[in-house]
Amino acid sequence: MADVTDQQKAVIVDFLKGKSAAKSKFYFNDFVALFPDMKPREVKKILTALVNDQVLEFWSSGSTTMYGLKGAGKQSHAEGED
Amino acid sequence: MAKYPTPMLDELESGPWPSFVSDIKQEAANRKANPKNLDYQIPVDCLEDLLGQVELSYKEKETHWKHGGIVGVFGYGGGVIGRYSDQPEMFPGVAAFHTMRVAQPSGKYYDTKFLRTLCDIWDLRGSGLTNMHGSTGDIVLLGTQTPQLEEIFWQLTHEMKNDLGGSGSNLRTPAACLGMSRCEFACYNTQDMCYQLTMDYQDELHRPAFPYKFKFKFDGCPNGCVCAMARSDFAVIGTWKDDIKIDQEKVKAYVAGEIKPNAGAHAGRDWGPFNIEKEVIARCPSQCMKWDGSKLSIKTADCVRCMHCINTMPQALHIGDERGACILVGAKAPVVDGAQMGSVLIPFISCEEPYDDIKEVIEKIWDWWMEEGKNRERVGETMKRLSFQKLLEATETPAMPCQVKNPRTNPFIFFKESEVPGGWTHDLKAYRQRHQR
Amino acid sequence: MAFISTGYDPKKPMEGRISDIGPHKYDQYFPPVIAKNFGKWVYHEVLEPGVLLHVAESGDKVYTVRCGGSRTMSITHIREICDIADKYCDGYVRWTTRNNMEFMVKDEATMKALRDDLNSRKFAGGSQKFPVGGTGACICNMIHTQGWIHCHTPATDASGPVKAVMDALFDGFIHMRMPAPVRVALACCINMCGAVHCSDIGLVGIHRKPPMIDTAWVDQLCEIPLAVAACPTAAVRPTKVEFDGNKVNSVAIKEDRCMYCGNCYTMCPALPIADGESDGIAIMVGGKVSNRITWPKFSKVVVAYIPNEPPRWPTLTKTVRHIIDVYSANAEKYERLGDWAERIGWEEFFKLTGLEFTEHLIDDFRESAYYSWRQSTQFKF
Repeated sequence: MADVTDQQKAVIVDFLKGKSAAKSKFYFNDFVALFPDMKPREVKKILTALVNDQVLEFWSSGSTTMYGLKGAGKQSHAEGED
Repeated sequence: MAKYPTPMLDELESGPWPSFVSDIKQEAANRKANPKNLDYQIPVDCLEDLLGQVELSYKEKETHWKHGGIVGVFGYGGGVIGRYSDQPEMFPGVAAFHTMRVAQPSGKYYDTKFLRTLCDIWDLRGSGLTNMHGSTGDIVLLGTQTPQLEEIFWQLTHEMKNDLGGSGSNLRTPAACLGMSRCEFACYNTQDMCYQLTMDYQDELHRPAFPYKFKFKFDGCPNGCVCAMARSDFAVIGTWKDDIKIDQEKVKAYVAGEIKPNAGAHAGRDWGPFNIEKEVIARCPSQCMKWDGSKLSIKTADCVRCMHCINTMPQALHIGDERGACILVGAKAPVVDGAQMGSVLIPFISCEEPYDDIKEVIEKIWDWWMEEGKNRERVGETMKRLSFQKLLEATETPAMPCQVKNPRTNPFIFFKESEVPGGWTHDLKAYRQRHQR
Repeated sequence: MAFISTGYDPKKPMEGRISDIGPHKYDQYFPPVIAKNFGKWVYHEVLEPGVLLHVAESGDKVYTVRCGGSRTMSITHIREICDIADKYCDGYVRWTTRNNMEFMVKDEATMKALRDDLNSRKFAGGSQKFPVGGTGACICNMIHTQGWIHCHTPATDASGPVKAVMDALFDGFIHMRMPAPVRVALACCINMCGAVHCSDIGLVGIHRKPPMIDTAWVDQLCEIPLAVAACPTAAVRPTKVEFDGNKVNSVAIKEDRCMYCGNCYTMCPALPIADGESDGIAIMVGGKVSNRITWPKFSKVVVAYIPNEPPRWPTLTKTVRHIIDVYSANAEKYERLGDWAERIGWEEFFKLTGLEFTEHLIDDFRESAYYSWRQSTQFKF
């Protein structure tokens, strides 16, 4: 996606790395707050690009979905999927 | 010989209603016999292990499944639900037993080629157990292992040209009634609107970016066979504006007992002869009908289109010709703040292809809800928290009496600053010239 | 087992990938008579239970035979459905939103042969595979959730109680003797992934105890902030507790705030909620979705708790059957269960059904509770 910049991707990755000690997964809304000047739909493009880059992955409760760094957190080990 | 005794489940094989236990056993036996000589990609005895685990649940009255949130297909945030047994040593065949949701054709019509191809994929790569269908409407493939997910997705998309459905905080697989395909009550093409919107919003369906789930459902008329009003955040329910069409000769035939009332739906019991006064005129919720012994008349302006008279005399009465749909927003199941039914937002909207009017409303609601909605808040809850007025504003819809049961019963009105002369500022000096301290 | 690859390369997931293609277009699966008369249907009749006739402007007729099915269905069973569809229906079949199948044919003789064939097919265990019915003023097939077959937070099974209840209501499915359609549904926990809150009879699995806290494992298995955030009532908070002489990170649960939804268990497997002895089912009645005659309405709880009694849930099935029998004997023609209860009054409903009215049936959940209390001196003694 041409309109997503490396700088924008870095904002998300840095945010996740900064929080990794406490929490590895976040709701979509938490990322929207990182880009106060952008519409949610534009922020989504950055997240989608990071998923396609295999940097981020989804975590789903079935009813809700969160984003996190690939392989991060305790769940992936608990589910034996790491 | 079964792998485990299942005395409790066996008791669910008797009785007339189709037994899921007998069906699972039949599939377990089929896998063991392997008539197609397949190299099964997940354990051959997974269904025997499933029966064993469910039997254990029957003994203990507790589930033995754990949730898994990571598994999925690459790039999609939904469509796969991870499941793991909490007794994997005891039941290794179901140690991992994930669900896949497969997008169903609108109205759930199939040919056997489609079904057989799907069965063949699932035979090789899954448990052979399905749900036809899940509550939201998808075909559900019940039970496979992680390495098979991408393979199944590949076969679905490459060989069947069919996609997965939704799960999580995204647009869920939309569903429609069978509509114009076989129903004379359908006020618009529910299947087509469902299909077109599903295609147009694939990104919203597969890549979650909403505060919570969002469902569309499409009912062709106010009878509501897919329960849009109760089960979807955005319900499109067919209706019409002009006269109900009356065939007076057919009305007389109903009155004379020549045609069974209610299309014969009450035929199993003797309810006595059809009484148009009691069964139709008196039951009309808005009392808009009259029967003078030879002629039925309906005052269209008073009709609320409940469908009762049409349902009761389907050969005599027909929906009007000026057709469209009513949009109701915000239905949800009880968690957390109590159940909500959809509330009328737009009383009448055109349902012509390519549905730009409808899409405009949807996108305005999404933009508003994505900005304002809290995590895990359905749009109906956002409406409650922020007010119906905010939804009107977001969708640029005028306020109308048909949107409420009654006007408010308190005077705590939040006027906008622009509505009050002079805004929020006061002229204190002038006030003090009129009033002492 | 040798892994059979389709060509997917996990190292290059985007290579050759097809995505975002949606479902198949609906009209390619229409039987010819449906395709030809699309949007041109004039009227319909229920010829007999489970058999519909639709007549088009062209004079074409289509006979539909509807039969009940278990939503949990094997591919062997689906292949049998395909065989039937190939034999009678040129290879077409559809499902309804309530887990019924519909086979469509063009003439009466084929319809009769098809109907008899469907009714004659039985599973090895003795139950019918394709009972014909589910039309008009009948008790329709139940919609339900996964239960112990596939869910991690259920308070009851789904397929089992549904089988037991439908066995008890079977005559209502194959006959049209009810005052109006009766729609029964089951959700195996309050999250209602299949919503039942507007059903004539809604059965809901309920937990009655807050989750256990497996202190030794909470910090190892779970990210505590996620478990905390998962709670819809803010009953879960992070804390440090003594365990085996060490201070460990864990959570505390404010028990009187917990609504037993199991959302924290979804996020944190160290907070299990299932409890065989206290879990069970609540019965809700009187909901509807149709706008016919009266407005759609929510179901109301009339039995707060019935214990799980596998394998056949005798108390549950007896109670459901009893409520429907009393309704059927007393309601007027066209009156849905909820319309009947409202006409006679809920005090009369409890009198007629003999169900015990307890304090658990009075709403005390947040603001909406008030609107269900009676603000009038009009009531029946």
